[in-house]
Amino acid sequence: MKKVALVLFLLISFSTFAQKYYTKTGNTQFKASVEAFEPVAATNNSTTAIINVTSGEIASLLFIKAFNFRVALMQEHFNENYMDSSTFPKATFKGLISNFNLSDISSTEKKYLLKGILTIRGVEKEIKTPAIFSQSEDKLLMKASFGVQPEDFNIKIPKIVSDKIAGTINISLAYEFIEKK
Amino acid sequence: MSLLKKNKLILTFLFVLGMIGFAFYTLTMEPPTSIENRKVDFTGSADELLVKITDHTEEWQDKIVVVSGEVSSSDDKGIMLSRKIYCQLKQVTDLQKINPSNNISLKGRIIGYDDLLEELKLDQCIIQ
Repeated sequence: MKKVALVLFLLISFSTFAQKYYTKTGNTQFKASVEAFEPVAATNNSTTAIINVTSGEIASLLFIKAFNFRVALMQEHFNENYMDSSTFPKATFKGLISNFNLSDISSTEKKYLLKGILTIRGVEKEIKTPAIFSQSEDKLLMKASFGVQPEDFNIKIPKIVSDKIAGTINISLAYEFIEKK
Repeated sequence: MSLLKKNKLILTFLFVLGMIGFAFYTLTMEPPTSIENRKVDFTGSADELLVKITDHTEEWQDKIVVVSGEVSSSDDKGIMLSRKIYCQLKQVTDLQKINPSNNISLKGRIIGYDDLLEELKLDQCIIQ
């Protein structure tokens, strides 16, 4: 009887304990440069992301103030004028990778469809983008890139600088997940 | 005005204009202040810091702190301090200076409370 209970307990705990991979130092970049002007781009090397490899669910979070620019003044304007990072300190993403199966992923790159909700400045927007997965030793690598419009998140770009900032902002991700134990 | 004098005047004018332009350019294109040169807003242990900033982490964003605590674990980019604070190192070579379960003190920038992993996050950390 005890053995049955133990087996049952183990089965339940296995089924509810989903296998997860995570990163704390994911690389998220954005580029809004227009040719012939100073590049408008920044990198965030502190993105947190968790992926449930059993279900394909993915969640990520980054802090706007952790975007590093080459120019201090640009970083200041980004935080204060465009992103209001004191009021909206985070950007989040919650989504699902279609037909995700960890055992299909090898050192060769494999493309999946990533769908989910991106929240910036408290405004939600649906994102659909291909995401490329591969495995390298004990790491699960993910790469993706997509475009967003500043208007989608109520970001107003003043007329005088509007020709120096691209209409579509390109966001690219490169995350190296490790297994969560 | 003689031709020579006029040329001199134009040259001086151009020189001054160039200087102003250069000063303006260097001032506007200045890179962000590096953490080494930034003022420290808090000094203390990891637990003291957590108590101080609970419930108002937003106000502590981008603040510079010097925290001390036990190294509970480390990965290839940073360390966990007292199990609650993740400190991403400015230079990963600093990892060689650390022994797990040792007490260390580091200077870093608070970037926010990560509610996915339930830990406070610091970046640009330098071991003191």
